[in-house]
Amino acid sequence: MSWLIGSLADAWAEIRVHKLRVLLSLIGIAVSVAALTAVVAVSELAMQSQTEEMDRYGGREATIGVTAIGENGPVDAAAFDERFTKVSERYGFSDVARIAEGLMIPVQAPDGLHDTSARLLDPAYARIHREKLLTGREFRADDAEALAPPVIVSEALWKVLGSVPMAQHPTLTLAGPAGGTYQIVGVRPRQGAWDDEKRIDVLFDSYASRVDRLPEDAQVRYDIWVGRKDVAAVGPALAMDLRAGLPAEQQVIINRTDWGANPGYLEGQRMVELLIGGVAALILGLGALSLINVQLVAMRQRVREIGVRRAFGATAGRIFTTVLLESLVATTVAGVIGIAIVVTALRMPMLTEWLFPALVDVPPFPMRAAITGLVAAVIVGAVAGFVPALVALRVKVIDAIRF
Amino acid sequence: MTLVALQDVTKSVLLPDDSTLEILRGVTLEVSAGDHVSIVGRSGSGKSTLLNILGMLDAPTTGTVSFAGREVRRMRPGRLDRLRGDHVGFVFQQFNLLPGRTALDNVMMPLGHAKDRLFWQRRRIAADMLERVGLGHRVEQIADRLSGGEQQRVAIARALVRRPVLILADEPTGALDIDTGASVMALLDEVATETDAALVTITHDLHVAARARRHYRLDGGVLAPADPRRALQASTLQDDLPAGLALAGSVPAGEASADAVAVDAVERAS
Repeated sequence: MSWLIGSLADAWAEIRVHKLRVLLSLIGIAVSVAALTAVVAVSELAMQSQTEEMDRYGGREATIGVTAIGENGPVDAAAFDERFTKVSERYGFSDVARIAEGLMIPVQAPDGLHDTSARLLDPAYARIHREKLLTGREFRADDAEALAPPVIVSEALWKVLGSVPMAQHPTLTLAGPAGGTYQIVGVRPRQGAWDDEKRIDVLFDSYASRVDRLPEDAQVRYDIWVGRKDVAAVGPALAMDLRAGLPAEQQVIINRTDWGANPGYLEGQRMVELLIGGVAALILGLGALSLINVQLVAMRQRVREIGVRRAFGATAGRIFTTVLLESLVATTVAGVIGIAIVVTALRMPMLTEWLFPALVDVPPFPMRAAITGLVAAVIVGAVAGFVPALVALRVKVIDAIRF
Repeated sequence: MTLVALQDVTKSVLLPDDSTLEILRGVTLEVSAGDHVSIVGRSGSGKSTLLNILGMLDAPTTGTVSFAGREVRRMRPGRLDRLRGDHVGFVFQQFNLLPGRTALDNVMMPLGHAKDRLFWQRRRIAADMLERVGLGHRVEQIADRLSGGEQQRVAIARALVRRPVLILADEPTGALDIDTGASVMALLDEVATETDAALVTITHDLHVAARARRHYRLDGGVLAPADPRRALQASTLQDDLPAGLALAGSVPAGEASADAVAVDAVERAS
């Protein structure tokens, strides 16, 4: 016990006495570890951002899409909805959303009526697809009761309508069978600089209550978020249940719509991780190399000290451990500092918002990044300490005292 | 009791031109507890090599070295290091203090390699030892910034802090002026006598050598008893030294009382 504490005390004293040298040599390590941690953390955030982007299209992992089609196009939506509701009750799904796409609804713009691409959505859609609004809010279950039904418009349309803030309760007039005044409750952001499409999303139930039946060209899909664990079991069972007793001219298509079903995406993620890991390892390797150099030069200057310590009873093992611990303690401290800087930086909402504007669920600082940084710092310390420790081990006491 | 015994020790090294340089030849020496031995010799006569062999820092080419009756050659390196740390204290000519460390850190250093009470109470023990050598007020001073005499006193405190049974001093006053050297030697003598440690001093300074009870001269690698009286007379041109000053290197440690008289005489004469 006293042996280890003594070695640690010696190592700490050495670091304390040679503060400047240690500080200068460790700046490189702190920067390397910070770079490594930042690269890992930012890459995790980037992957989260990319995943969310994918979620917006196909739903969270794992989302099952259910569509019924007849021989000559869409089936009777109301009849299939009844069947779907009955079957899905047995499964107790927590997140189910109906989506009707392919509708064109006339929208009153300042320059006249324009047929506008529209979707009918259930409130759960936003959660399943991790939607993020530019401003305002998503649909809520009680919106169906509202006298002025809610509508969410695309950013391009909102601009045309004068970009009225949500606090001023802007409205939109729709024409056609479900025509009337709708309250704009949210604005969907552009998907890119190219996105100038004017679109609207209408609450499914609000629309359905105003029309006898959905238009012929509306294709209804059901998105069910079942989670990764259950998808393999739920998918086939649900398909079987929905197909049981289905009229011969109809069929039900059930498939996974999320990115998890796409092996190419997963492989791409692994490649990105590998690439980032390689860059990080290179950064760290360079930091370690510079530390080994500094340590070796410092060791040359400490030969006499080592000789004196040996003369006063320090065993070769003790000298080896002390030199190794010096490096380990120093790089660990530098590593912790580097990690702390990155954690502090990435916990600043301004920075994450600037780096990943589309991120909805900002995850906590990835522990994997912090652990990777710390482990790397310890490994660098061990490697950078091992070589000088070997040199120290080979010092002959007689020569060292005369040095 | 014999602490360290050298029997027929030789030490030779191979030179770059493949010739062999014999540093020590057939050296036989016994040092007992409480003994006080001086070894004088010219530069390059092998004094430091002999001291290193006595301190188990170096191994002889032939011959045997025993410490407390156990042959050093048969000990494993780690055991030897611990034995040296427990029982031997070194005082170097150039002090060899740890740079950048305080006086206290330097004196604590040997205790850092000890166990039990010595380890856990190392700070207090080191501070007491610094107090003992008159540096209680310099405990937190960086050792490099102390005067030469103070640095050597720190080195003495470091050598004595584990209460070694054998103190080896290699030119302890070599880097000091005469007065400071004298006070440092007085301190070393005093503390060594107080702890009943054997003190082996290597020196060029005949006055320093004269403080010992047994005297040797190393010449061409051969160790022989010396009589510092004649050397002192030659160096100081004083021929009126007391007749009783007969300092025979072969006087065993047990006959120290006669030697003590001789030492006193030398001190008076010098």
